[in-house]
Amino acid sequence: MKTIVIGVGNPILQDDGVGIHIINELRGHLKDSQVIMDIAYTGGMNLLDMIRGYDKVILVDAIKQEHCKTGEVKRFPLTQAPAIHSSNPHDVSLSEALHLAKQLGETHLPQEIIVIGIVIKNTNDFGEHLSSEVASAVPTAVTMVLAELKNT
Amino acid sequence: MRTITIDPITRLEGHGKISIFLNEAGDVENAYLQIPELRGFEKFSEGRRAEDMPQITSRICGVCPVAHHIAAVKALDAAFHVDPPMAAKKLRELLYCGYIIYDHILHFYFLGGPDFVVGPEAPAAKRNILGVIEKAGLDVAKDVIKHRAYGQKITAILGGKATHPVCGLPGGVSKGLVKDEVKDIKDMVESCNTFAKFTLQLFDDIVLKNKVYVDLIRSDPYTLKTYNMGLVDKHNKVNFYDGMIRVSDQDANEVEKFEGKDYTNHIAEKVEEWSYMKFPYLKSIGWQGLQDGKKSGIYRVGPLGRLNAAEGMATPQAEKEYTRMFNTLGGKPVNSTLAFHWARLIELLYATERAKELIEDPEITSTHIRNPVKTPGAGIGVVEAARGTLIHDYKLDKNGLVEKANLIVATTNNAGAITMSVRNAAKGVIQKGNVNEGLLNKVEMAFRAYDPCFGCATHTLPGGMPLTVNIYDHKKNLSKTITRS
Repeated sequence: MKTIVIGVGNPILQDDGVGIHIINELRGHLKDSQVIMDIAYTGGMNLLDMIRGYDKVILVDAIKQEHCKTGEVKRFPLTQAPAIHSSNPHDVSLSEALHLAKQLGETHLPQEIIVIGIVIKNTNDFGEHLSSEVASAVPTAVTMVLAELKNT
Repeated sequence: MRTITIDPITRLEGHGKISIFLNEAGDVENAYLQIPELRGFEKFSEGRRAEDMPQITSRICGVCPVAHHIAAVKALDAAFHVDPPMAAKKLRELLYCGYIIYDHILHFYFLGGPDFVVGPEAPAAKRNILGVIEKAGLDVAKDVIKHRAYGQKITAILGGKATHPVCGLPGGVSKGLVKDEVKDIKDMVESCNTFAKFTLQLFDDIVLKNKVYVDLIRSDPYTLKTYNMGLVDKHNKVNFYDGMIRVSDQDANEVEKFEGKDYTNHIAEKVEEWSYMKFPYLKSIGWQGLQDGKKSGIYRVGPLGRLNAAEGMATPQAEKEYTRMFNTLGGKPVNSTLAFHWARLIELLYATERAKELIEDPEITSTHIRNPVKTPGAGIGVVEAARGTLIHDYKLDKNGLVEKANLIVATTNNAGAITMSVRNAAKGVIQKGNVNEGLLNKVEMAFRAYDPCFGCATHTLPGGMPLTVNIYDHKKNLSKTITRS
């Protein structure tokens, strides 16, 4: 099964970039492995371009969810998150992009997309560092991605 | 007073918030679009190496990285007192054409266009790219995907990396073009040109041949008589990459023309207490609050702003379409906000023609693509982002580190006009407290035309939330919530 792990986020908007921090951490854990990893500062149609041709995709991304604690890590299939990282006003969500690709008869689309989401607070401030609550979630997320990879 | 809040804005994924204030009679008293602004960029940039700025600023937004990248390298050219070789300028402009191609295609077919192609009264669930496919057919959709990808590929070849370019350096670019790449780009550009013409025809067939749509375009609620601004070349034709900033008035007369480096002499910013937003205006005219007309210094940028501010397009096919648009809509300037969509397609056509000129230029494969930098100082770079004039302003210390950075992005330039358009549209469609989904969409259409670009950080789960309207009584207590799925 061809799998890719993608860290999604904006590296200069603090906690928003947590997915990228996690990929960097994973690279240390998976030095000799064949696992394909990448980072995406973007969403929607661009993200679709990145996942074409893979069977399974693990998206590591910051999420904002009411009634959840900052730093909580959640696992769910993309189908339960209609607008993951469609944060961009000038793009469609990945779900919408996938739906479109299916309608157009594309055949190289992933069968499974799993999101490992780290709950963040809303941030509109520039910065490269994670808040302490979110930074402490990084090891948990790394473990969850590794477990996810074992299951594939 | 009752308050209606449209939040989140559909297809803008909850970034902005529209608040509509009704009076006791249920008519619109005022309306605001509030945009959460990204904070602290200036401080974030302090002390960074100047040559990192094109990469850093291209991260500000996930969709307009090319505009920030190029504005930044132009600011660095100026700061390091270096004029790039002609070939480097052409390579940057070609990269830029690729960006305009994919960006304008995405906006028309995915974001703004569905309102027209599917129809402003259609249910929200249909007003998206899938609704467009239903109406225009699967083959059109395949072409949309193909040509958007071509635009991306052109920027990836020239930029050295997909989406976020890494090619720009003070004094030029790091990467030239080889023969095979020229051939690939030429083929893609040809195909994009055909597709741009097809898209204008589609706009003709679906929008212009429909009297209801044309009446909507020309209707009062979607009309705003502001000044217009955009970069022009030495013949006053639209240019995305370089030139002078030209401002024209409500009679299409030139009122100002200045170099980007002098922007602070011409543009001032007003802060209104109800918003974080700054509203830029023309210094020579002055600030009169959020109103249009000759006495108010508010101006518009972006596709319609550019076409109004210029005297034409520099390429033959686009020039023909330019003339046709103004003839059809009653001469210059066109003040119809919804005409932004038409102007955007004319620019798409221009970008394909200009790309063709550049890729056929023998100098494009030159290996002399960078000139040496001199001592660092201060520099300002201006480009036309897809959605309007973008200004990067840096001050460097003697070691080439950033001392101060200031950006004015396109959506900020349009802030006053967008807010007024939202208010006017709301006034036109909400009377006596009568609010329904179709009416609300017409309010959204007013700002969607501008293709506004908000900060790209917010994550909302579960995303794709339905449109929620909160209606408050005159004591601002929530009296009713309407949710549209």
